[in-house]
Amino acid sequence: MRGAKSAKWVAIAAVVALGATACGGGGDSGSGGGKSNGIVSMEIGEPQNSLVPTNTYETEGGQVINALFTGLTKLDGNNKVVNAMAQSIETKDNKVWTIKLKPGYTFHNGEKVTAQSFIDAWNYGANQTNAQQTNPLFSHIQGYKDLNPGEGKKPKTDKMSGLKAIDDNTLQVTLDGPFSAFPSQLSFTAFVPVPKAFFKDPKGFGEAPIGNGPFMMKGKVKHNQEIDTVKYDKYPDASKIEVKGVDFKIYSNLDTAYKDLVAGNLDIDINVPTSGLPTYKKDLPGRTIDEADSAVGYIGFPIKYNKAFQNADLRKSISMAIDRKTIAEKVFVGARTPADDYISPIIDGYRKGACGEACTYNPSKAKELYKQAGGLPGNSLEIGYNADGGHKEWVEAVANQLQQNLGIKVTAKPFEQFQAILNDLDAKKYQGAFRMAWSMDYPDMEDYLRPVFSKDAIANGSNYSGYVNEEFEKLLVKGDQAPTHEEAVKIYQQADDVLLKDLPYIPVYFYTLNAGFSENIKSMTVAGHQVLWDTVKLG
Amino acid sequence: MGRYVVRRLLQVIPVVIGVTFIIFCLVFALPGDPIQALAGDKRADPNIAAILRAHYHLNEPLYQQYWHYISGVFTGDLGETYNGRAISDIVAERFPVTLKLGLTAFAIEAVIGILAGIMSALKKGKFLDNVVLVATLLLISIPVFVLGSVLQLELGVNLKATPVAGIDKGWPQSYILPAIVLASTSMAYIARLVRTSLTESIRADYVRTAIAKGLPRRRVIGLHAMRNSLIPVVTFLGFDLGALMGGAIITERVFNMPGIGGQLAQSVYLRERPIVVGLVTLLVLIYLAANLVVDLMYAVLDPRIRYE
Repeated sequence: MRGAKSAKWVAIAAVVALGATACGGGGDSGSGGGKSNGIVSMEIGEPQNSLVPTNTYETEGGQVINALFTGLTKLDGNNKVVNAMAQSIETKDNKVWTIKLKPGYTFHNGEKVTAQSFIDAWNYGANQTNAQQTNPLFSHIQGYKDLNPGEGKKPKTDKMSGLKAIDDNTLQVTLDGPFSAFPSQLSFTAFVPVPKAFFKDPKGFGEAPIGNGPFMMKGKVKHNQEIDTVKYDKYPDASKIEVKGVDFKIYSNLDTAYKDLVAGNLDIDINVPTSGLPTYKKDLPGRTIDEADSAVGYIGFPIKYNKAFQNADLRKSISMAIDRKTIAEKVFVGARTPADDYISPIIDGYRKGACGEACTYNPSKAKELYKQAGGLPGNSLEIGYNADGGHKEWVEAVANQLQQNLGIKVTAKPFEQFQAILNDLDAKKYQGAFRMAWSMDYPDMEDYLRPVFSKDAIANGSNYSGYVNEEFEKLLVKGDQAPTHEEAVKIYQQADDVLLKDLPYIPVYFYTLNAGFSENIKSMTVAGHQVLWDTVKLG
Repeated sequence: MGRYVVRRLLQVIPVVIGVTFIIFCLVFALPGDPIQALAGDKRADPNIAAILRAHYHLNEPLYQQYWHYISGVFTGDLGETYNGRAISDIVAERFPVTLKLGLTAFAIEAVIGILAGIMSALKKGKFLDNVVLVATLLLISIPVFVLGSVLQLELGVNLKATPVAGIDKGWPQSYILPAIVLASTSMAYIARLVRTSLTESIRADYVRTAIAKGLPRRRVIGLHAMRNSLIPVVTFLGFDLGALMGGAIITERVFNMPGIGGQLAQSVYLRERPIVVGLVTLLVLIYLAANLVVDLMYAVLDPRIRYE
């Protein structure tokens, strides 16, 4: 009997474990807000990694890094890249960049921010030994390859040859080749400086980062509960910032965060959940933000693996059979807008209606075109989606629309995680279409083109269709070399045109940012999914 | 009795080793890639991903990975998550929350459940009995997250009587409402369990004898009848204590409480093998301890049960 008893417990343990696997999500915590002492609270999710800037590649941790650190450039309220800690950024050939720093910036421990603070931080981020999540973002800098010889090999150096401190306030960066979007890339939180204290104890730093930004840590990170910050009085622009401190409250559940916002326990929530969208403008009169966000949602095709999808007209016919307006307004309750370009509307270079006929709903023409293009084998189509991200409804809606408008059999195929789709695509186990999305790393057209559609991105980026177009590649390089930002935009738009003709992915919707704030705040601006703290005016 | 306890405690060792291995295999068998999960929707940089996989031994066969894990455990190192946090820190952070929530819920369900059951049994067929029956039926049939969300909205958002979410008001304020929600279903079960078994005991011969001997009614019910009726209740409570410690996933999520349940769900989702194994093993230990206490309680409640 005793043996049987142990077996019983093992069985129960297995049941517990299996029971736990049956439920998704995680449970974290929040806390009280709604104070009038100038401290505001804001909703975030638990950051995925410790708060080391170069190890933070997602928006939740990015929010905190953005408050604690100031980089060389930043986004302003109109999503334009402007200088932050940089006094000037100059280049003759888009390859060698000379960056002068504004004086007067110090880290929260009193250390002066110098050109070397940036160099050390970037060398750390680019070094494979440190396995930092944002490592590939440094790949444009000369000498990046020396720090990344590949797994199992040790880098021979710990410095990139392209980084040089001319003096304390002058930084010279040499890139591998011309790259006109570099100043824009510098606005990403991975490119902020870190103090010397970081290198003594990176792990400890991640629990209590010492930045050079408008806010400094109050104590350590309280995981899954909150991350509290107070205003740093020695910040050069401290007088422009009304907020006395930010308490980032960590929620695992957006619905709960929204309830806290309505109850007045939370001041800022830039992720109003679908459940709150129908009523949030009524719940929070005059205290909502509804603006375009940076992400784009697509339907993609494994062009490289599946011949059936290689006809651009066929992809166009599928695109024309999608009623984007219904998806955006009905399925997403207005949390999306119909996509008409590969570039997000907040980016300089986006063109309204660029996609033209291909993204315009026209069921009869779509059906005609589908027949002309030769159709799909067996007249059936699968669209894969990951069941863990709220995609079921819209993918099923698209499937129904295609089924009706093209007269073919369409099934929405759930995968447990996004990664499972990618694995099955790579293993050629899955041949169907799939949902995809891209959110920017830095606000430049190039970031919507190269990482998703370039040849390089097949192995190292997010080009899951396997799309390759030599003309597109040439235009990217040409755009990188453009002498001014305006000219770069013009050339990148030509590259965008190539995509719009080929339609490797079908742009379906643009994300919108739906935010709400409490009565403690009079007004505020959000750009590039981040709160601009100098625009937050207290009520 | 002492020898029995020692024997039971010795049984824990093979159980724990078996459980860790089984859970390890289960999480190992899940499709997906923990290193990619860290990167979300964007493809993890192949080079960095390879380095991380090598660092966490993810390319090695199952038995080697298990060996790395278990030899760490025996030297007191529970390992770290794939984003570099010590698992012992995570358990130390989250376990107190689950403990407070679970024990509060446990107290609520035991006290209210047993009292409601006794009242029901003594007033069988009367109005009060029917109130308890209807109320328990309702509690059993409403899903936890519905009850939780509704109470949160009414008491927290509209009446501002309780905190909406989180634990920063500390115990008891932040814990009372989630604990009530968490306890609701079991409370109803216990009330019905007590009602049934007490009804049976009251009709038993020994109770009739006690009443005939002129013992006060309170003593008859409270001591003689209750002692026998509590055996199924104690069994249920013992099992439920384990369930409360590991099963508060939904409640923790609705009320945004950083407990073990939420962490477990999150870790399974992220394929964080070491932490899933660590947490489940912890839960198994709690189950085993609760089960031992229940078995010992039997002997206290019923002198006929002896463990020698």
